Amino acid sequence: MRRSYTAVIEQGNVYAQDFATEPFEAGWASEARWFVRILAGEGRGEDVRIVAQTEISPDGLVWMGNGDDPIRMSAAPDTMASCLVTGFGHWLRLNVKLEGAARGVKFLIYLALKE
Amino acid sequence: MKPDTDDPSAAMTRAMTRALRASHPVLSRFNPLDRILFVNDFDEGTHGWCELSGNHDNNLDSLRRMARDLRPPQLSNLTFFDTGSHGSIDGTYALKLATRPRTNHMAQAIKRFTYVRRGPVQFEMYFTFKAETIFNQPKVGQRAWDGNYHPSAAQFGDFTLSNDVGEGEDGERYHCALRYLNTDHAGKLVQQWQYKTTVQPTTMMEKQGLASSPVDYHVCHPDDWEPVPNGRQPLCYNEIPTKTNWHYLRWVFDTEKRRNTELQVNDLTMDLRDLPVPRYGHPYWGCERLLNFCLDVRTHCDVRNFLWVDSVVVSVDW
Repeated sequence: MRRSYTAVIEQGNVYAQDFATEPFEAGWASEARWFVRILAGEGRGEDVRIVAQTEISPDGLVWMGNGDDPIRMSAAPDTMASCLVTGFGHWLRLNVKLEGAARGVKFLIYLALKE
Repeated sequence: MKPDTDDPSAAMTRAMTRALRASHPVLSRFNPLDRILFVNDFDEGTHGWCELSGNHDNNLDSLRRMARDLRPPQLSNLTFFDTGSHGSIDGTYALKLATRPRTNHMAQAIKRFTYVRRGPVQFEMYFTFKAETIFNQPKVGQRAWDGNYHPSAAQFGDFTLSNDVGEGEDGERYHCALRYLNTDHAGKLVQQWQYKTTVQPTTMMEKQGLASSPVDYHVCHPDDWEPVPNGRQPLCYNEIPTKTNWHYLRWVFDTEKRRNTELQVNDLTMDLRDLPVPRYGHPYWGCERLLNFCLDVRTHCDVRNFLWVDSVVVSVDW
Protein backbone atom coordinates (compact mmCIF):
# COMPACT_ATOMS: atom_id res chain seq x y z
CA MET A 1 0.00 0.00 0.00
CA ARG A 2 1.37 3.42 -0.91
CA ARG A 3 1.93 5.83 1.93
CA SER A 4 0.25 9.22 1.70
CA TYR A 5 0.05 12.37 3.75
CA THR A 6 -1.90 15.61 3.55
CA ALA A 7 -0.44 18.73 5.10
CA VAL A 8 -2.47 21.86 5.70
CA ILE A 9 0.07 24.43 4.60
CA GLU A 10 -2.14 27.50 5.06
CA GLN A 11 -4.92 27.08 7.60
CA GLY A 12 -7.26 29.92 6.79
CA ASN A 13 -4.59 32.61 6.88
CA VAL A 14 -5.37 35.97 5.28
CA TYR A 15 -2.93 37.64 2.90
CA ALA A 16 -3.17 41.00 1.21
CA GLN A 17 0.28 40.75 -0.38
CA ASP A 18 2.34 38.22 -2.26
CA PHE A 19 3.68 35.43 -0.09
CA ALA A 20 5.49 32.11 -0.17
CA THR A 21 4.33 29.15 1.87
CA GLU A 22 6.58 27.63 4.50
CA PRO A 23 9.19 25.15 3.22
CA PHE A 24 7.95 21.58 3.29
CA GLU A 25 10.08 18.45 3.03
CA ALA A 26 8.66 15.83 0.70
CA GLY A 27 11.65 13.68 -0.22
CA TRP A 28 9.76 10.46 0.50
CA ALA A 29 6.97 11.32 -1.95
CA SER A 30 7.05 10.76 -5.69
CA GLU A 31 4.11 12.98 -6.38
CA ALA A 32 2.59 16.03 -4.77
CA ARG A 33 -0.60 17.88 -5.46
CA TRP A 34 -1.38 21.38 -4.32
CA PHE A 35 -4.97 22.32 -3.58
CA VAL A 36 -5.53 26.04 -3.26
CA ARG A 37 -8.91 26.96 -1.87
CA ILE A 38 -10.16 30.48 -1.33
CA LEU A 39 -12.28 30.71 1.78
CA ALA A 40 -13.01 34.41 1.55
CA GLY A 41 -11.91 37.42 -0.42
CA GLU A 42 -12.51 40.75 1.17
CA GLY A 43 -13.63 43.80 -0.75
CA ARG A 44 -12.71 43.43 -4.38
CA GLY A 45 -11.67 39.80 -3.99
CA GLU A 46 -13.42 38.84 -7.20
CA ASP A 47 -11.19 41.22 -9.12
CA VAL A 48 -8.00 39.66 -7.81
CA ARG A 49 -6.20 37.04 -9.82
CA ILE A 50 -4.01 34.57 -8.02
CA VAL A 51 -0.91 33.12 -9.63
CA ALA A 52 0.66 30.32 -7.61
CA GLN A 53 3.96 28.85 -8.76
CA THR A 54 5.49 25.71 -7.34
CA GLU A 55 9.05 26.29 -6.19
CA ILE A 56 11.70 23.69 -5.50
CA SER A 57 14.79 23.76 -3.33
CA PRO A 58 17.73 21.50 -2.58
CA ASP A 59 18.04 22.67 1.02
CA GLY A 60 14.96 24.62 2.06
CA LEU A 61 16.95 27.85 1.90
CA VAL A 62 17.30 28.81 -1.76
CA TRP A 63 14.37 28.47 -4.15
CA MET A 64 13.54 28.44 -7.85
CA GLY A 65 10.46 27.83 -9.98
CA ASN A 66 9.99 24.22 -11.04
CA GLY A 67 9.26 25.18 -14.64
CA ASP A 68 5.62 24.08 -14.68
CA ASP A 69 2.74 26.37 -15.53
CA PRO A 70 1.51 28.10 -12.39
CA ILE A 71 -1.99 27.86 -11.00
CA ARG A 72 -4.07 30.81 -12.19
CA MET A 73 -7.33 31.38 -10.39
CA SER A 74 -9.71 34.03 -9.19
CA ALA A 75 -9.81 35.10 -5.54
CA ALA A 76 -13.56 34.71 -5.41
CA PRO A 77 -14.78 32.84 -2.32
CA ASP A 78 -15.16 29.06 -2.67
CA THR A 79 -12.82 28.91 -5.64
CA MET A 80 -10.45 25.94 -5.69
CA ALA A 81 -7.62 25.04 -8.03
CA SER A 82 -5.02 22.29 -8.07
CA CYS A 83 -1.83 21.21 -9.74
CA LEU A 84 0.28 18.08 -9.76
CA VAL A 85 4.01 18.21 -9.09
CA THR A 86 6.43 15.42 -9.86
CA GLY A 87 10.18 15.10 -10.21
CA PHE A 88 10.87 17.64 -7.51
CA GLY A 89 13.79 17.85 -5.12
CA HIS A 90 13.12 17.24 -1.47
CA TRP A 91 11.59 20.60 -0.67
CA LEU A 92 8.43 22.27 -1.94
CA ARG A 93 6.73 25.58 -1.44
CA LEU A 94 4.18 27.66 -3.29
CA ASN A 95 4.97 31.20 -4.33
CA VAL A 96 1.65 33.05 -4.40
CA LYS A 97 1.17 36.37 -6.16
CA LEU A 98 -1.96 38.46 -5.88
CA GLU A 99 -2.61 40.40 -9.06
CA GLY A 100 -5.04 43.20 -8.34
CA ALA A 101 -6.00 45.19 -5.27
CA ALA A 102 -6.49 42.60 -2.58
CA ARG A 103 -7.54 43.78 0.83
CA GLY A 104 -7.28 40.28 2.15
CA VAL A 105 -7.70 36.81 0.72
CA LYS A 106 -8.21 33.87 3.04
CA PHE A 107 -6.37 30.76 1.92
CA LEU A 108 -6.73 27.09 2.71
CA ILE A 109 -3.81 25.36 1.00
CA TYR A 110 -3.21 21.63 1.11
CA LEU A 111 -0.21 19.66 -0.02
CA ALA A 112 -1.28 16.08 -0.76
CA LEU A 113 1.73 13.76 -0.96
CA LYS A 114 1.95 10.18 -2.15
CA GLU A 115 4.75 7.63 -2.42
CA MET B 1 10.30 -3.66 33.98
CA LYS B 2 9.12 -5.09 37.28
CA PRO B 3 11.58 -7.15 39.36
CA ASP B 4 11.35 -10.85 38.99
CA THR B 5 9.25 -12.64 41.58
CA ASP B 6 9.56 -16.09 43.07
CA ASP B 7 7.18 -17.31 40.37
CA PRO B 8 9.49 -19.14 37.92
CA SER B 9 6.97 -18.77 35.12
CA ALA B 10 6.80 -15.01 35.57
CA ALA B 11 10.57 -14.80 35.80
CA MET B 12 10.90 -16.80 32.59
CA THR B 13 8.39 -14.55 30.84
CA ARG B 14 10.28 -11.47 31.89
CA ALA B 15 13.62 -12.89 30.87
CA MET B 16 12.19 -13.83 27.49
CA THR B 17 10.68 -10.37 27.08
CA ARG B 18 13.98 -8.71 27.93
CA ALA B 19 15.84 -10.91 25.49
CA LEU B 20 13.38 -10.27 22.67
CA ARG B 21 13.45 -6.54 23.22
CA ALA B 22 17.24 -6.50 23.49
CA SER B 23 17.52 -8.28 20.16
CA HIS B 24 15.24 -5.80 18.42
CA PRO B 25 17.35 -3.09 16.73
CA VAL B 26 14.93 -0.29 17.60
CA LEU B 27 13.60 -1.48 20.95
CA SER B 28 17.07 -2.20 22.30
CA ARG B 29 17.66 1.56 22.32
CA PHE B 30 14.71 1.99 24.68
CA ASN B 31 13.78 0.83 28.12
CA PRO B 32 10.00 0.34 27.99
CA LEU B 33 7.70 -0.61 30.82
CA ASP B 34 5.84 -3.93 30.71
CA ARG B 35 3.28 -3.09 28.04
CA ILE B 36 4.31 -1.14 24.96
CA LEU B 37 1.49 1.06 23.71
CA PHE B 38 3.25 2.09 20.52
CA VAL B 39 6.61 2.12 18.77
CA ASN B 40 6.90 4.91 16.22
CA ASP B 41 9.94 4.82 13.99
CA PHE B 42 9.48 7.73 11.63
CA ASP B 43 11.33 5.99 8.85
CA GLU B 44 7.98 4.35 8.23
CA GLY B 45 5.67 7.35 8.29
CA THR B 46 4.16 9.87 10.68
CA HIS B 47 2.54 7.18 12.84
CA GLY B 48 -0.42 9.32 13.82
CA TRP B 49 1.56 12.35 14.92
CA CYS B 50 -0.38 15.23 13.40
CA GLU B 51 -0.78 18.97 13.64
CA LEU B 52 -2.49 20.14 16.79
CA SER B 53 -5.51 22.33 16.30
CA GLY B 54 -7.72 24.19 18.71
CA ASN B 55 -11.47 23.67 18.86
CA HIS B 56 -13.84 25.28 16.37
CA ASP B 57 -17.36 25.08 14.99
CA ASN B 58 -16.28 23.92 11.53
CA ASN B 59 -15.18 27.49 10.91
CA LEU B 60 -11.43 28.08 11.10
CA ASP B 61 -12.11 31.67 12.12
CA SER B 62 -13.19 30.29 15.48
CA LEU B 63 -9.76 28.93 16.27
CA ARG B 64 -8.27 30.87 19.14
CA ARG B 65 -5.08 32.73 18.36
CA MET B 66 -2.62 30.43 20.08
CA ALA B 67 -4.24 27.22 18.84
CA ARG B 68 -4.01 27.88 15.11
CA ASP B 69 -1.29 27.60 12.50
CA LEU B 70 0.68 25.10 14.57
CA ARG B 71 2.11 23.65 11.37
CA PRO B 72 1.94 20.14 9.93
CA PRO B 73 4.81 17.85 10.95
CA GLN B 74 7.12 16.77 8.15
CA LEU B 75 9.04 13.61 7.36
CA SER B 76 12.56 14.97 7.08
CA ASN B 77 15.78 13.38 5.87
CA LEU B 78 17.65 16.18 7.65
CA THR B 79 19.11 17.70 4.52
CA PHE B 80 21.46 20.66 4.93
CA PHE B 81 22.98 22.99 2.40
CA ASP B 82 26.58 22.09 3.16
CA THR B 83 26.60 18.32 3.52
CA GLY B 84 23.32 17.03 2.09
CA SER B 85 21.20 14.45 3.84
CA HIS B 86 22.06 13.65 7.43
CA GLY B 87 19.41 10.93 7.69
CA SER B 88 17.98 9.44 10.87
CA ILE B 89 19.49 7.02 13.38
CA ASP B 90 19.20 3.86 11.35
CA GLY B 91 17.30 5.00 8.31
CA THR B 92 16.41 8.06 6.30
CA TYR B 93 13.52 9.92 7.91
CA ALA B 94 12.66 11.61 11.17
CA LEU B 95 9.59 13.55 12.23
CA LYS B 96 10.28 17.27 12.03
CA LEU B 97 8.43 20.15 13.66
CA ALA B 98 9.23 23.52 12.13
CA THR B 99 8.15 26.97 13.27
CA ARG B 100 7.58 29.94 11.05
CA PRO B 101 10.42 32.50 11.08
CA ARG B 102 8.44 34.72 13.44
CA THR B 103 9.13 35.54 17.07
CA ASN B 104 7.14 33.37 19.49
CA HIS B 105 5.75 31.12 16.78
CA MET B 106 5.23 27.54 17.92
CA ALA B 107 4.79 24.31 15.99
CA GLN B 108 3.09 21.49 17.83
CA ALA B 109 2.33 17.87 16.98
CA ILE B 110 0.01 15.55 18.86
CA LYS B 111 -0.72 11.85 19.11
CA ARG B 112 -4.16 11.05 20.49
CA PHE B 113 -4.90 8.06 22.70
CA THR B 114 -7.10 6.99 25.58
CA TYR B 115 -6.06 4.97 28.61
CA VAL B 116 -7.25 1.63 29.88
CA ARG B 117 -6.09 2.08 33.44
CA ARG B 118 -4.50 4.85 35.45
CA GLY B 119 -0.88 4.47 36.46
CA PRO B 120 2.65 5.09 35.19
CA VAL B 121 3.10 6.10 31.54
CA GLN B 122 6.56 6.30 30.02
CA PHE B 123 7.38 8.38 26.95
CA GLU B 124 10.78 7.77 25.35
CA MET B 125 12.25 9.38 22.27
CA TYR B 126 15.44 10.18 20.41
CA PHE B 127 15.48 13.82 19.35
CA THR B 128 17.66 16.59 18.02
CA PHE B 129 17.10 20.30 17.45
CA LYS B 130 18.48 23.30 15.58
CA ALA B 131 17.77 26.82 14.43
CA GLU B 132 17.63 27.24 10.67
CA THR B 133 20.81 28.24 8.87
CA ILE B 134 20.82 31.96 8.16
CA PHE B 135 23.24 33.23 5.57
CA ASN B 136 24.99 36.51 6.36
CA GLN B 137 24.32 36.32 10.08
CA PRO B 138 24.19 39.77 11.67
CA LYS B 139 27.22 40.29 13.85
CA VAL B 140 26.03 43.16 16.03
CA GLY B 141 25.08 42.33 19.58
CA GLN B 142 25.75 38.63 19.26
CA ARG B 143 28.54 36.44 20.42
CA ALA B 144 30.56 35.96 17.28
CA TRP B 145 31.53 32.73 15.62
CA ASP B 146 34.91 31.71 16.95
CA GLY B 147 35.33 28.40 15.22
CA ASN B 148 33.63 26.58 18.09
CA TYR B 149 30.66 28.65 19.27
CA HIS B 150 28.09 29.44 16.57
CA PRO B 151 25.57 32.31 16.92
CA SER B 152 22.75 30.04 15.75
CA ALA B 153 22.95 28.27 19.12
CA ALA B 154 21.30 31.33 20.64
CA GLN B 155 18.60 31.41 17.97
CA PHE B 156 16.94 28.25 19.21
CA GLY B 157 14.22 29.12 21.73
CA ASP B 158 12.64 26.14 23.45
CA PHE B 159 10.89 22.83 23.03
CA THR B 160 8.26 21.26 25.25
CA LEU B 161 6.91 17.79 25.87
CA SER B 162 3.43 17.64 27.29
CA ASN B 163 0.38 15.47 27.72
CA ASP B 164 -3.36 15.96 28.02
CA VAL B 165 -5.06 13.71 30.55
CA GLY B 166 -8.84 13.70 30.96
CA GLU B 167 -10.58 11.47 33.45
CA GLY B 168 -14.10 12.31 32.31
CA GLU B 169 -16.83 14.65 33.46
CA ASP B 170 -16.59 13.45 37.06
CA GLY B 171 -12.81 13.52 37.19
CA GLU B 172 -9.84 15.74 36.71
CA ARG B 173 -8.19 17.13 33.61
CA TYR B 174 -4.63 18.40 33.49
CA HIS B 175 -1.56 18.79 31.34
CA CYS B 176 1.92 17.91 32.48
CA ALA B 177 4.42 20.04 30.55
CA LEU B 178 8.21 19.99 30.66
CA ARG B 179 10.13 22.57 28.69
CA TYR B 180 13.76 22.77 27.66
CA LEU B 181 14.47 26.48 27.67
CA ASN B 182 17.51 26.93 25.49
CA THR B 183 17.49 30.71 25.57
CA ASP B 184 15.55 33.47 27.22
CA HIS B 185 13.73 35.95 25.00
CA ALA B 186 16.82 38.14 24.78
CA GLY B 187 18.74 35.26 23.20
CA LYS B 188 20.83 34.49 26.27
CA LEU B 189 21.59 30.81 26.75
CA VAL B 190 19.70 29.34 29.72
CA GLN B 191 19.72 25.57 28.96
CA GLN B 192 17.35 24.68 31.76
CA TRP B 193 14.46 22.24 32.10
CA GLN B 194 11.28 23.84 33.43
CA TYR B 195 7.85 22.77 34.66
CA LYS B 196 4.72 24.88 34.42
CA THR B 197 2.70 26.28 37.29
CA THR B 198 -0.64 27.21 35.71
CA VAL B 199 -3.13 25.41 33.50
CA GLN B 200 -3.15 25.67 29.75
CA PRO B 201 -5.91 28.12 28.76
CA THR B 202 -8.49 26.23 26.69
CA THR B 203 -10.95 27.26 24.01
CA MET B 204 -13.79 26.94 26.51
CA MET B 205 -11.97 29.09 29.08
CA GLU B 206 -11.36 31.81 26.51
CA LYS B 207 -14.97 31.70 25.31
CA GLN B 208 -16.28 31.91 28.89
CA GLY B 209 -13.91 34.72 29.82
CA LEU B 210 -12.04 32.55 32.33
CA ALA B 211 -8.73 33.20 30.59
CA SER B 212 -7.40 35.72 28.15
CA SER B 213 -5.58 34.75 24.99
CA PRO B 214 -2.18 33.58 26.22
CA VAL B 215 1.24 34.64 25.00
CA ASP B 216 2.56 31.18 25.84
CA TYR B 217 0.35 28.30 24.70
CA HIS B 218 0.92 26.22 27.83
CA VAL B 219 0.29 28.72 30.63
CA CYS B 220 -1.88 31.67 31.63
CA HIS B 221 1.10 34.03 31.93
CA PRO B 222 4.45 33.57 30.18
CA ASP B 223 6.28 33.64 33.52
CA ASP B 224 4.33 30.68 34.89
CA TRP B 225 7.29 28.33 34.69
CA GLU B 226 9.75 27.19 37.35
CA PRO B 227 13.12 25.55 36.94
CA VAL B 228 13.19 21.80 37.51
CA PRO B 229 15.53 21.19 40.46
CA ASN B 230 18.93 20.09 39.19
CA GLY B 231 17.56 20.64 35.71
CA ARG B 232 20.28 22.71 34.09
CA GLN B 233 21.58 20.73 31.14
CA PRO B 234 23.58 21.95 28.16
CA LEU B 235 22.62 19.69 25.27
CA CYS B 236 24.91 18.74 22.42
CA TYR B 237 24.79 21.57 19.88
CA ASN B 238 27.95 20.42 18.09
CA GLU B 239 29.17 23.76 16.87
CA ILE B 240 27.19 24.51 13.69
CA PRO B 241 23.51 24.43 12.68
CA THR B 242 23.95 21.60 10.19
CA LYS B 243 25.29 18.90 12.51
CA THR B 244 22.57 17.01 14.33
CA ASN B 245 23.27 14.70 17.25
CA TRP B 246 20.54 12.45 18.63
CA HIS B 247 19.66 12.66 22.32
CA TYR B 248 17.83 10.07 24.42
CA LEU B 249 14.88 11.26 26.52
CA ARG B 250 12.70 9.29 28.92
CA TRP B 251 9.74 10.95 30.65
CA VAL B 252 7.53 9.17 33.15
CA PHE B 253 4.27 10.54 34.45
CA ASP B 254 1.64 8.88 36.62
CA THR B 255 -2.04 9.26 35.81
CA GLU B 256 -2.97 7.66 39.16
CA LYS B 257 -1.05 10.29 41.12
CA ARG B 258 -1.68 12.99 38.48
CA ARG B 259 1.99 13.93 38.67
CA ASN B 260 5.20 13.80 36.74
CA THR B 261 7.52 11.09 38.02
CA GLU B 262 10.90 11.66 36.41
CA LEU B 263 12.67 12.94 33.36
CA GLN B 264 15.86 11.43 32.03
CA VAL B 265 17.80 13.10 29.23
CA ASN B 266 21.03 11.29 28.46
CA ASP B 267 22.88 10.98 31.76
CA LEU B 268 20.74 13.45 33.73
CA THR B 269 17.73 12.10 35.61
CA MET B 270 15.46 14.60 37.33
CA ASP B 271 13.09 13.59 40.12
CA LEU B 272 9.76 15.29 39.42
CA ARG B 273 7.54 13.58 41.97
CA ASP B 274 7.22 16.56 44.30
CA LEU B 275 6.51 19.11 41.58
CA PRO B 276 2.88 20.24 41.41
CA VAL B 277 0.82 19.73 38.25
CA PRO B 278 -1.97 22.30 37.90
CA ARG B 279 -5.50 20.97 37.34
CA TYR B 280 -8.59 22.63 35.93
CA GLY B 281 -11.21 23.74 38.38
CA HIS B 282 -14.04 22.85 36.04
CA PRO B 283 -15.06 19.69 34.15
CA TYR B 284 -14.67 18.91 30.47
CA TRP B 285 -17.27 16.99 28.51
CA GLY B 286 -16.24 14.26 26.10
CA CYS B 287 -12.68 13.78 27.30
CA GLU B 288 -13.21 10.34 28.87
CA ARG B 289 -9.94 8.56 29.63
CA LEU B 290 -8.18 11.03 27.35
CA LEU B 291 -4.44 10.47 26.97
CA ASN B 292 -2.68 12.68 24.43
CA PHE B 293 1.04 13.14 23.83
CA CYS B 294 2.36 16.44 22.46
CA LEU B 295 5.66 17.84 21.26
CA ASP B 296 6.27 21.44 20.33
CA VAL B 297 9.06 23.80 19.40
CA ARG B 298 9.02 27.58 19.71
CA THR B 299 11.29 30.23 18.32
CA HIS B 300 12.15 33.33 20.32
CA CYS B 301 13.32 35.30 17.27
CA ASP B 302 12.60 35.62 13.57
CA VAL B 303 14.44 32.41 12.72
CA ARG B 304 12.79 29.04 12.08
CA ASN B 305 13.39 26.50 14.83
CA PHE B 306 13.30 22.77 14.23
CA LEU B 307 12.76 19.74 16.45
CA TRP B 308 13.42 16.33 14.91
CA VAL B 309 12.31 13.07 16.47
CA ASP B 310 13.79 9.84 15.19
CA SER B 311 11.56 7.48 17.14
CA VAL B 312 9.13 7.33 20.05
CA VAL B 313 8.19 4.46 22.35
CA VAL B 314 5.37 4.82 24.88
CA SER B 315 4.76 2.13 27.46
CA VAL B 316 2.61 1.51 30.54
CA ASP B 317 2.67 -0.95 33.41
CA TRP B 318 -0.68 -2.66 32.92
